[in-house]
Amino acid sequence: MEVSREIILGAIWETLYMVSIGLFFGATLGLILGITLVVTRKGHILENRWVFGIVNPIVNIFRSIPFIILLVAIIPFTRLIVGTAIGTTAAIVPLVLHIGPYISRLIENSLLEVDEGIIEAAKAMGATPWQIIRKFLIPEAFPSLILSVTTATIGLIGATAMAGAVGGGGLGDVAITYGYQRFDEMTILVTVILLVAFVQLIQTIGNRLERHFRHSS
Amino acid sequence: MKKWHLLLILALTTVLLTACNGTNKAQGEESTNVKVGIRSSEVKTWEFIAEQAEKEGINLELVTLSAQVDPNQTLADGDIDINAFQHVAYLDLFNTNNGTDIVPIGTTIIAPLGLYSSKHDSLDDVKDGATIAVPSDPSNWGRALLLLQENGILTVSDDFDGNGGEDRIKENPKNLKIVPVDGATTPRVMEDTDFAIINNGVAVQAGLYLKDAIIHESDTAKPFINIIATNAEDAENEIYQKIVEIYQNEETSKFIEETYSGNYIPVKLTLEELSTWKEVYSYND
Repeated sequence: MEVSREIILGAIWETLYMVSIGLFFGATLGLILGITLVVTRKGHILENRWVFGIVNPIVNIFRSIPFIILLVAIIPFTRLIVGTAIGTTAAIVPLVLHIGPYISRLIENSLLEVDEGIIEAAKAMGATPWQIIRKFLIPEAFPSLILSVTTATIGLIGATAMAGAVGGGGLGDVAITYGYQRFDEMTILVTVILLVAFVQLIQTIGNRLERHFRHSS
Repeated sequence: MKKWHLLLILALTTVLLTACNGTNKAQGEESTNVKVGIRSSEVKTWEFIAEQAEKEGINLELVTLSAQVDPNQTLADGDIDINAFQHVAYLDLFNTNNGTDIVPIGTTIIAPLGLYSSKHDSLDDVKDGATIAVPSDPSNWGRALLLLQENGILTVSDDFDGNGGEDRIKENPKNLKIVPVDGATTPRVMEDTDFAIINNGVAVQAGLYLKDAIIHESDTAKPFINIIATNAEDAENEIYQKIVEIYQNEETSKFIEETYSGNYIPVKLTLEELSTWKEVYSYND
């Protein structure tokens, strides 16, 4: 391997940083959008044709844009938010806009699986929509939500490989610029093994948490 | 009946075509037909050269090859006679990887990498801790480091082989922050960095001209000087030499400067001067 330990360690840190902060904001955005998509749809607790009619296509638009294009297209917006368009922190802005809408669809799926009878029962008990969301919808779907976020985290790790385009660094970028482009197979192997380990770890944690909450609920 | 006619015509045509081919081949030795493999970016120059060559009795046939085809492979296969699309460093890599023996027979131009900025206009503004965006592909990243080294801003590592990387910087006295970004992104992030080193082609696409560059490569960046190349056994071919002469004459140089708004710099080095190109990598000691 031609690449130094410092570069690999730096890249691990950059990946962890992008994934953790990106996931936090991405999941928050995804949760808000996902819940909106569920409760405003036809026949649901807060049915609203207008809100659904606006949020639904916006989510689709962001999900259609190839990540590398999104990365460059929103440079002015990124600059507005973090003050610069390059570097690891700057890469988080497009990552959030990329993963948020994806998470919202996964969350939408999880929430739609909640038994309608439960919502009906909540309504009958006189629960407000906010209470239904907080006390029934989310707790009921919680184990499934954990799996959704786990899937999204792994997707996010994949997306960080592209962060190098704006100087974001990370393991995927090291694999591309130091491994692939320099024909250094060893560097590719090491970075890929690290990424595999990372994904395994996250999936294992996700599965454990899901099992824990499924049994405790 | 009609079928017979058709067959007859077909047979005749085949015979005729074969005959033509035969005569062509027979004349091959003294033929002044030369096939040159180029990329579309330099078509204008070569059309200009073909005009001049015609006056000398040389029929230059331009073969424009797309990015999917390596004109060196075409040359090694004998489908073209000479090619002109690459710099010395690339040819060296190709020969090493493919076991071919293609040699340069003359220098053409350099498409210089330049240091641009939307904030500063002099090298004096390269202050302590300044940020410089560079293209992240190893060859252009390497060129960027060499450009900075040539201007005394930093030095490259002892094992430098032309490829860039964080680990290829030896001394960085000004603690510059070198930010690798996608090549096509360099002009887009000029607002975010103090300087950006931009590849010639990308700069032109982004509407930046070499004359706007604070510093840029010149014919001292030997590894990146473009060349006319041919198979080693044809290196002494007089007709090919003639084509090199035409490329290097005053009219052609003037034409190149005008046609490409100064973005390509004509280079006239002897092959001997060119042969020391690898020294550029280590001239810091």
